[in-house]
Amino acid sequence: MNATLGAMIDLWPAILAGAVGALVPRKPSTWQRAGIGVIAALLVLFVMKLWPDAAVAAAPSAPSGEWPHLLTFLIGLPLAGAILMLFMPRQSPGLLRAMTMGILLVDLVASLWLLTVPMGVGWHFVSVHDWIPALGIRWHVAVDGMSLWLVLLTTFITPIAAYVSFGSIGTRIKDLCFSLLLLQAAMLGVFLSLDMFLFYVFWELALVPMYVMIGVWGSADKIKAALKFFLYTMGGSVLLLAALLYLVHTYSKLTGTMSFDYLALNKVLLPKHVQMMCFWGFAIAFFVKVPLFPLHTWLPDAHVQAPTGGSIILAAILLKMGTYAYMRFGMGLFPFAAGLQSATLAGVAVFGGILYGALCSWKQDDLKRLVAYSSVAHLGYVMLGLFAGTQASMQGSLLQQINHGVSTGALFLLVGVIYDRRHTRTITEFGGLAKVMPVYTVVFVIITMASIGVPGTNGFVGEFMVIMGTYGSLRLGKFGGVDAVLAAAGVILAAIYMLSVVQRVFFGPLKNPKNRDLPDLNVRETLALAPLVIMVFVIGLFPSVLLSRSAAAVSAFEMRNRLVWMSAQELGEGEPKLVTQDMLLEGASGSAREGMANTLDEMDRGAPVIPPPPAADKPAADKKEASK
Amino acid sequence: MEFLSSLFPSPESSFPLLAVILGLPALGALFNGVFGKRLGNDGVRLMALATVFGSFLGAVATFLLLHHAGAAHEHHVRFVWNAWRWLALDTTNIEVTFSVDNLSSVMLLVVTGVGFLIHVYATGYMKEDPSFHRFFAYMNLFIFAMLILVLGDSLPIMFVGWEGVGLCSYLLIGFWFEDSKNAAAGSKAFIANRIGDFGLLVAMAMILHHVGTLSWHGMDAQAGQLLTNVQLWPIGGGLPSWMPAFLLKPRTVDAATLVGLMLMLGCAGKSAQIPLYVWLPDAMAGPTPVSALIHAATMVTAGVYLVARMNFVFMLSPTAMMVVAGVGALTALFAATIGLVQNDIKKVLAYSTVSQLGFMFMGVGVGAFASGIFHLVTHAFFKAALFLCAGCVIHAMHARVHDTDASQDMRNMGGLRKHMPRTFFAYTAATLAIAGFPLTAGFFSKDEILFRGLVNRIEPSAALKQLVGRSAPKGLNHEQLQGLISSLTTPSWFHKAVFIIGLVAAVLTAFYMFRSWFLTFFGDFRGWRIVPGWKDTGHGHDEHEHEHEHEHGHGHEHEHEHGHEHEHGHEQETKHKKDGPVPHEAPDSMTWPVVILAVLALFAGFVNAGSIHLTPWFEHWLSPVFEGSAKMLATVQTGEALHKVEYGAMAGGTLAFLIGAGAAWWVYRAKGGEPARRAADAAPGLHRLVLDKWRIDELYEATVIGFLDSLADTSAWVDKWIVDGIIAKLTSALVALAGSVLRLVQNGKVQAYGAVMVAGLASVGAFFVLPHGKVVVNVDPKSGNYVLHAPPGIGYHYRWDVDGDDKWDGGDSWTLRAVSDVRPANAPGPGESRTYRVEVRNAFGLTKLELVTLTRPKVDKSSPERAMNDKGVAP
Repeated sequence: MNATLGAMIDLWPAILAGAVGALVPRKPSTWQRAGIGVIAALLVLFVMKLWPDAAVAAAPSAPSGEWPHLLTFLIGLPLAGAILMLFMPRQSPGLLRAMTMGILLVDLVASLWLLTVPMGVGWHFVSVHDWIPALGIRWHVAVDGMSLWLVLLTTFITPIAAYVSFGSIGTRIKDLCFSLLLLQAAMLGVFLSLDMFLFYVFWELALVPMYVMIGVWGSADKIKAALKFFLYTMGGSVLLLAALLYLVHTYSKLTGTMSFDYLALNKVLLPKHVQMMCFWGFAIAFFVKVPLFPLHTWLPDAHVQAPTGGSIILAAILLKMGTYAYMRFGMGLFPFAAGLQSATLAGVAVFGGILYGALCSWKQDDLKRLVAYSSVAHLGYVMLGLFAGTQASMQGSLLQQINHGVSTGALFLLVGVIYDRRHTRTITEFGGLAKVMPVYTVVFVIITMASIGVPGTNGFVGEFMVIMGTYGSLRLGKFGGVDAVLAAAGVILAAIYMLSVVQRVFFGPLKNPKNRDLPDLNVRETLALAPLVIMVFVIGLFPSVLLSRSAAAVSAFEMRNRLVWMSAQELGEGEPKLVTQDMLLEGASGSAREGMANTLDEMDRGAPVIPPPPAADKPAADKKEASK
Repeated sequence: MEFLSSLFPSPESSFPLLAVILGLPALGALFNGVFGKRLGNDGVRLMALATVFGSFLGAVATFLLLHHAGAAHEHHVRFVWNAWRWLALDTTNIEVTFSVDNLSSVMLLVVTGVGFLIHVYATGYMKEDPSFHRFFAYMNLFIFAMLILVLGDSLPIMFVGWEGVGLCSYLLIGFWFEDSKNAAAGSKAFIANRIGDFGLLVAMAMILHHVGTLSWHGMDAQAGQLLTNVQLWPIGGGLPSWMPAFLLKPRTVDAATLVGLMLMLGCAGKSAQIPLYVWLPDAMAGPTPVSALIHAATMVTAGVYLVARMNFVFMLSPTAMMVVAGVGALTALFAATIGLVQNDIKKVLAYSTVSQLGFMFMGVGVGAFASGIFHLVTHAFFKAALFLCAGCVIHAMHARVHDTDASQDMRNMGGLRKHMPRTFFAYTAATLAIAGFPLTAGFFSKDEILFRGLVNRIEPSAALKQLVGRSAPKGLNHEQLQGLISSLTTPSWFHKAVFIIGLVAAVLTAFYMFRSWFLTFFGDFRGWRIVPGWKDTGHGHDEHEHEHEHEHGHGHEHEHEHGHEHEHGHEQETKHKKDGPVPHEAPDSMTWPVVILAVLALFAGFVNAGSIHLTPWFEHWLSPVFEGSAKMLATVQTGEALHKVEYGAMAGGTLAFLIGAGAAWWVYRAKGGEPARRAADAAPGLHRLVLDKWRIDELYEATVIGFLDSLADTSAWVDKWIVDGIIAKLTSALVALAGSVLRLVQNGKVQAYGAVMVAGLASVGAFFVLPHGKVVVNVDPKSGNYVLHAPPGIGYHYRWDVDGDDKWDGGDSWTLRAVSDVRPANAPGPGESRTYRVEVRNAFGLTKLELVTLTRPKVDKSSPERAMNDKGVAP
C-alpha cells in the first residue's frame, strides 16, 4: 500500500497531466476523456523517465541488458504481421484493423526498450547473422544515437497514421493493413540496417506499399502521382546501386573478401574523383527522397493524391529515410567528397529549399500542396544542418527531422480532417472556420506556430540549432555566415505563407454556406492529434531529452568524418586503400589519441573482420616455400 | 523584510520566487483557455485577476529584496532561478534560467502593475463579449510571455518571450477574427515582428560565433571579442577581375556594429520604429485594453529594454548607437506629423506611441539608458491611461454608434467633459504628462532625454581604437589615424540635430494631444442629439460593435434583418443626427484603473527629478546595470556648466509644451477648428498625404511586398513549368519519343526484319573480308628500340620497310612476322621524322598499306621517360 502511494507521489506530474488531460474535452465523452488523459500521462511519464540527469545517473549500468534480438523483433513483427494478414478473412475488417493496430502498438512499446540503454557512442542491440556468406552479405542491424529517434518516430507516427486511415478509408481494408505493416517493417529496416545490401532491400521495399497506398486510395490523379513517385525514387536508387557495387568491388580488391557492411565499406578510401562519383551516386538517390531542389517535384503531386494516412507517413517518415541515409551513408562513407561539395549543396539547400520552397508554398491554392512545399522548405533546414557539418548544426538537423515528422505529420492530419468533411482542399472554399470548428482551429494554429518555429514549440529549437551551427561552420567557409543569414530570413517567409493560409481558412466571415454546419473534431481525430500536439511542446520545451541521447553519437560521427577527411586529402588522386586507425590518428598523441581511439573502436563494434591483406610480399613468399 | 529575506537565503544562486511570478499567469492562461467556458465569466475574471495580482505581489517582494540586497552590496545584484537545461550547443549550454536585476525589476513592476490595472479595466470593458474566457486566456498568456522576455537570463530565453508576446499580440489584434480586416492586421503585425526577429536570430548567431555565450553576464564580460572585422564583401571567395574597381575592394565592418544593427532591426520590429512601424497603427484593430497593455505600455517597449540590456554591445559601436538614436529621432518626428491630422482617437494615440517610442530610442541611443528606461516607465503610465480613457469614450459612444470607425472618430465626439468626469480628469492628467507640462512625469523623462541627447558623447573604447588601427589602410600617418578614430566619436552636429528634432517632435506632441483633448472633451457633443431619458427601442443597447457582428452568424434571416437596419442607421448618422441618450461614464471597474494610472502619470516623475535638485533615485537604481557603459560616455560640459545646459534644455521642453498646447488651444478651442480646415484647403494634396500616413503602406505594397509577391509567383511558375518541366515532363517526353522511334522498327513485318538481318550480315562479312592494318608503336624499355606491332589476324601476311631504304626489307616476300623493331641506326634523330611502311595481306589476297611516321623531339638527350612517351604518329 505504502509502496503504491510512494510510487504515486513520485509520479505526480504524470498523474496530474493525466487528470488535466481527461478534463480537457468539453462534451462528456468518456472515450475521449480517457484517451487524452492516458496520452497526456504517458507522454509526461516519458519525459520524466528520460530527463537527462536521470540518464546520467543510470549510465553506469552495463549494456548487458540489451536483448540482441530486439531490433530483429521490431522489423520482424510487422513483416510477419503483413504476411499473416494475407491469410486473414477479408470479410471481417474489424479484426484486421484491430490486429494491425495491435501489432503497431506492440512495436511501439517494444521500441521504447531502446530508451532504457544509455546511448553514448557506438552501436547497441547489435544483431549479426550471415545471410549470403558468399557475397559477404549479412543481416546486420544496430541502433545508435543517430538512428534512435528516427526509429522511435517511425513506431510513434505509424500507429497514428493507421488509426487515422481506419477512420477515413472504408475500402480494401485488408490491402491497407498489409501495406501499413509492410511499410512499417521496411522503414524500420532502413533506419536500422548497417549492411548496405540489406539497406538497399529495405529502401526499395518501402517504395512498394507507398506506391500501393497512393495508387489505390488516392484521389483523382492517383495513378500518375504514384508512378511519378515510384520512378523518381527508382531512378535515384539505380545510381545508388551502381556506386555501391563499385565500392564493394574496390573493397574486395583491397581485402580479398566481399562485404556489403557499412562498417567495412567505410574503411575504403577512394581517390578523389572516384570518391566524388560514388558520392554523387549515393547523394542523388538520397536527395530525391529528401527531396532537395530540383528533384522535389514528385512530392507535391504524391502528397496531393495520397490519402491522409499515406501523406502523414510519407512526410513524417519516408522523407527522413533520405535525410538519414545521406547523413549516415552519404557523409559516413564519403566524408571527403561530401565535405568538398558541402558549400555548393548548402547553397542549394538555402536557395532551392528554404527560400524557394517557401515562396512556392505561398502561392499554392491547394492546402496539401502548400504543406508539401513547406516540407521542401523545412527539409532545406535539415539538409543545411547536415551540409554545415558542425556538431550543433547536425544535432539541430536530427532534431529538425523529428520536428518535421511531428508537426508536418500533424498538418497533413489536420488537412485530412477538413478534406473528409468537405472533399476539397482548395483554400478559397473556406474562410471563417474558426467560428464553426473552434477546437480544430486551436489545434491548427498551434501546429502552425510549431511549423513556423515560434520558440516554445519544437520547430524553433531545430531551426535555431541549425542556424547557430551554420554560422561558424568551417566546411562552408566564408559562406557559412551568408547561409545562416539567408536561413534566418526563411523564418520570415514561413510566417508569411503559414499565416496567410490560417487567415484565409479560419478567419474572416463565414461566407461559404457549405461550411456552416461542419462538425468539430471527432473523438478519433482528437485522439490521433493529442499525442502530436503534446509532442510539439515536449520537444519545444525539453529538447535535451532527445538531444542528450544523440549528442555523443553525433560528435563521434563528426570527429571520424574530420579524421577521414584529412586522410583522404593526403591520398588525393592516389590508389584506393583501406583506412586504418593509425592512419586516422596520425596527428594526435597522448590521452587525446587514446580517447579518439576508444571512440573509433566503439564505432566499429560489430564490423566484419578484415582478413590480413593478401597482396603483400611475405605471404606470397610463404606460399612459394610451401609449394616446394 | 527580514521574513522575506529568510525565505530566500541565497537569492543570487536560487530565487524560486521568479518561478511563482512566471507560473501564475501561465496557470491562468491554461485554465482560462481550456476550462474557461465551463468556469463562467466570474470564474475567469477571478482566475485572470488573481494570477496577475499574485505576480504583481511577487514583483513587489522581489523589488524589495533586491533593494535590500543592493543596499548591502552596492554592486550589480542578480537574483537567479535556473529551471532546466534547454539545449547544449558546441560551445555553450543554453539554460532555461531567469534572473532579475535592477533593470528587470523595474520592467517587472511595470508589466505586472500596469498589466494588473489593465486586466481590471478589461473585466469591465469585455463584460458582454461571448469570448470573455478566450480574451483573458490570451491576456494572461501575454503577461506570461512578457515576463519571460523581461526575466530571461540569456538572449535565447528572452527571445522565447519576445516571440511569445508577438504571438499573443497576433492573437489579440485578431481577437474579433470574423472581420477580415482585424485578422489581416494581426498577420501584418506578426510578419513585421518576424522581420525584426530575423535580425535577432542573426545577431544571436554572430554573438555565439564571436563571443561564445549568450547569457547576459557572459556577454557583458566578453563583449570585447565582438571587436573583430567581419568581411561583408566579397561574399564567399574571390571576385572575377572584370568587375568594376569599387566592387573589387573588400569591405569589412566590425562585428559589434553588425550585431548592434541586427539587434536594432529586431527592436525596430517589436517597438515599431522606422522602417517597420507600419504594423502598430493597424494593431489598433484589437480591443482597446489590448492596445493599452500590449501596444502602448509593455510589449512595444521591449525593444528599448533590449537596447538597454545589450548596452555593452551597443557602446562598442558608435555607429550602431547613432543609428539607434537617429532612427529614434526620425521616428519621433515622423509619427508625430501623422498624428497631427488623424481623426480616429486610437490612431492618434497609436502614432503618439510610435513617436514616444522614438523618444525612448533617442535616449538609449545617446547612451542615456536610464533616461530611456525612465521614459518607458512614465510612458507606460500616461499612454496606458490615455488608451483606457479612449476605451471609456468609445464605450460611451457605443450607446448609439455601432460602427467601429465611427465610434472612434473624434469628429463624432465633443463636450464629453461634462458627462464623463473621471475619464476627463484622467485624460487631462495623461495629456499634460505626455505633452510635458512642468513637474508631471513626462516632463521629467522627456527633458532628460533631450538634455542627454544634447550633451552626451560616446567615446570609442581603447579596444575599438586598436581595431581601427589594425584594420586601417596601410600608409596612414599618425594624424590621419587619429582623425579616423575621432570620427568614431559621435559628431556634435548629430547631437544638435537629435536635440532639435526631439524638440520639434515635442511641440507636435503637445499639439496633437491637446487637439485630441479639445476635440473629445470640449465643445458640443456631435455624435447624436442628446435626449435625456431616451430609451433605445430599435435593437437594444448594443455596447460593442463586435457583438453586433457576433449576432450575425446566428441565423441567416436574423443577419439579413440586422444588416439592413445597420445600413439604414449608418445613413442616418451621416445625413441628419439621430437621437440618443446622455453619454454615460464607464463603470467603476473601468474608471478606477484609469484614475490610478493618471495619478501616477502626474507624480511618478519625482522619482527621477535630478533636474530640479531632488535625488535622481531612479538613475541611481539603474546605474549598476550600466556601469560599464558609463565609462565610455563623456559629456561636453561638466559641473555647473552642465547644469546650465540642463536648465536650458528644460526651458526648451517647457517652451515646446507652451507652443504646442497654445497652438492647439488657438486652433481648436478659440477658433473652433477653422484654421485647421483652412490649412487643409490651402494644401489639399499635402493634407491628403499626411492623412494617408504619407502613404508608406502603399509604398511598401508597391515595392517590397510587390517584389516578394511576384517573386513567389515566378517561383511557383518556374516550379511547375521549368523544374518539373525539365526533370519530369521533358524526361518522360524523351523516353516516349525514343519509344515511338523504336516502335517503328518493331513493326512486326517479317520482310523488314529479314532486310535488317541481311544488311547486318553483309556488314559483318565485309569486316572479315577486308584486311585491317592499324599499327601500334611501342618502345622496348630494355633496348630503347621502337617496336611496331601490326594487327594479327588469321591468314595475315606482312612485309615491312623499317630501314628507310624505300624497299621491302626481305625483298618482296611476305612473312608471318607481325612485329618489327626499328634499329637505332634507322631511328629518327632528335628533331627528325621518318616514315616506315608495312603492308598487310589477308587470306583473300586483299592488301592494305600502312604508313607510320615517327618523330623524336628536339631537346631530348637521354631521358628514357621522354622516349617512352614518344609513341610516334601514325599517318
